[in-house]
Amino acid sequence: METHCLKRPTRRQFLSSVAFTILAGGAAPVMARSISGRLPWEARSADPPVQVKPGGWLFFTLEEAQTMEAVADRLVPADDLSLGGKDAGCVLYLDRQLVGSYGTSSRLYTKGPFMPGLPTQGYQASDTPAQRYRAGIAALNAFTRETKGGKRFAELAPADQDAVLKDLEAGKITLPNKVDAKSFFNLMLANVMEGFFADPIYGGNKDMASWKMLGFPGARYDYRDHVSKHNQPYPLPPVSIAGSTEWMTR
Amino acid sequence: MSRIVFSLTLAATAFSAGLALAQAPDQADEIIRGRYQAILGDCSACHTAPGAKPLSGGLPLETPFGQIIPPNITPDKATGIGNWTEADFRSALKKGIGHGGKRLYPAMPYPAYTRMTDRDIGNLWSYLRTVDPVFNPVESNQLPFPFNIRLSMMGWNMLNFTPGEFQPDPSKSAEWNRGAYIVQGPGHCGTCHSPKTALGADETSEALQGGSLQGWYAPNITGNSYIGIGSWSEDQIVRYLKTGTNGHTIASGPMAEAIQASTSLMTDEDVHAIATYLKSTEGGSTQKPQPIPASDARMKVGAAIYHDTCSACHGGDGKGASQLFPALAGSSIVQQPSAETLTRLVLQGSQAVHTPAAKTTPAMPSLGWKLSDEQVAAVLTYVRNSWGNAAPSVGASDIGAQR
Repeated sequence: METHCLKRPTRRQFLSSVAFTILAGGAAPVMARSISGRLPWEARSADPPVQVKPGGWLFFTLEEAQTMEAVADRLVPADDLSLGGKDAGCVLYLDRQLVGSYGTSSRLYTKGPFMPGLPTQGYQASDTPAQRYRAGIAALNAFTRETKGGKRFAELAPADQDAVLKDLEAGKITLPNKVDAKSFFNLMLANVMEGFFADPIYGGNKDMASWKMLGFPGARYDYRDHVSKHNQPYPLPPVSIAGSTEWMTR
Repeated sequence: MSRIVFSLTLAATAFSAGLALAQAPDQADEIIRGRYQAILGDCSACHTAPGAKPLSGGLPLETPFGQIIPPNITPDKATGIGNWTEADFRSALKKGIGHGGKRLYPAMPYPAYTRMTDRDIGNLWSYLRTVDPVFNPVESNQLPFPFNIRLSMMGWNMLNFTPGEFQPDPSKSAEWNRGAYIVQGPGHCGTCHSPKTALGADETSEALQGGSLQGWYAPNITGNSYIGIGSWSEDQIVRYLKTGTNGHTIASGPMAEAIQASTSLMTDEDVHAIATYLKSTEGGSTQKPQPIPASDARMKVGAAIYHDTCSACHGGDGKGASQLFPALAGSSIVQQPSAETLTRLVLQGSQAVHTPAAKTTPAMPSLGWKLSDEQVAAVLTYVRNSWGNAAPSVGASDIGAQR
């Protein structure tokens, strides 16, 4: 009768597992801690976002910024409802995001394997948003220079810009350097919307323009005084994390 | 209780050999009573640093005259009070003169402890002899010249110090007298809650009417219904002292420490006695000033900040949410003459006291990063003058000084 016994690890397996255990144990300080009795608390503790201030581009070159401002103004055109994406600060928002943790995907898992995912799975390739914008904007301007009489995207008439964006969205355009048109369009659309609707503290949504347009009350968190007032508009103006003009003391 | 008796008896027995004290058969009772005196007197508040061995010396006290470090009062012979006699200890508490004629600074509240009875001091001494001796040298006197001259306290005592045991008032109930004894004597409430003279002594004519210390304003705790505790029922005072929260307010800061280490461990009878006495005291004007009108520019700004920032917890009507968020409307703490505590709470945040009966410890976040000095001043002016509250406005320069 055959005897089954556990396979002995090879010398290599044994050594590598020991090495891995030591690395895993020693690489990072232990983050977990147990809390008993009272909850931990510190005076003056706060982890506030820093107010983004306009002034210079930290990620974009001037040409890239102009391109993105043109895109933002077509995705959110100025009309009688609100100002446009450029004036709302969407590109300022994006610029500061791209030099931060978002730009470098520092909070995402970005190792392989890289497989084509389902549409519902989002972006699956290895490039960071910063790399994608750098390549994407260059590819977009290369495309318009080639097909629109040597003009950069920002130099096109609004109607032509719309047409290019529509084709990007529909994937009808093949951008150079293997930039995926559809996925780059979706990236720009998502980020411009973030800039337009996010708290003004991050650089976009100037003067809470989008919130005023929607009637969104902003960074408030208590509506007990209003929940029972059915079919009445909420009376208070929107407020940002950084406050509102009503907080101005002089 | 029997376990404490047993362990204390054991401790007493263990020490008796080394200390060569004459051990009366009822020494254990004395020690247990002395341990309770240490709770009433809250010795550990000053003499035990966080995480350190009991009574082995405390964190520096910031006084207007400089720093004093509460000494080691364990029975260690080299660095504690192991060489002291009971007479030395009695003299320290009654007269402010310690072993070898060394004069104490009144940061040690001997002006209050002098009211204690000989029996209570004797018991306390018996207890202190049983504490684990800890070798921990402490140089208490960190004061600058000329305050570092201990002899100068002789003059201070002549001006500011009335020695003498508490004299009961026969026209009052036993409970009232017990409360008065604790408040004026071992409990030394006035050490924080009485305003101070220029020399740092209690302003006895204004006892318990509120004082500023260590970056907090210890509020008026007389029976004044406007800025004192007059609007609290006796039961609410008891609940506050026993648990730190009473549906109106929640203790934090130095009072949280006093509640944890002292008042929450007092007997129910003693806490009731304190409440009875405090409610009977009078102090300060009960006349509310005219509130600042809502049309005032500061009030308008303050209202906007309040409703955007504070109302989620404290409520649009300032009523708070009983055990979780203190009420601001009608709160005497909010309407103190000084806004020092309020400013501190807004700038730094605060956490509620943790007691066995109130374990949630809700916390107020720090808003110092978000609000400018002018904005803090405006919102405090607003809460001090809304929903029936009325108190002087707060200036931006006061806020800046506390940042």
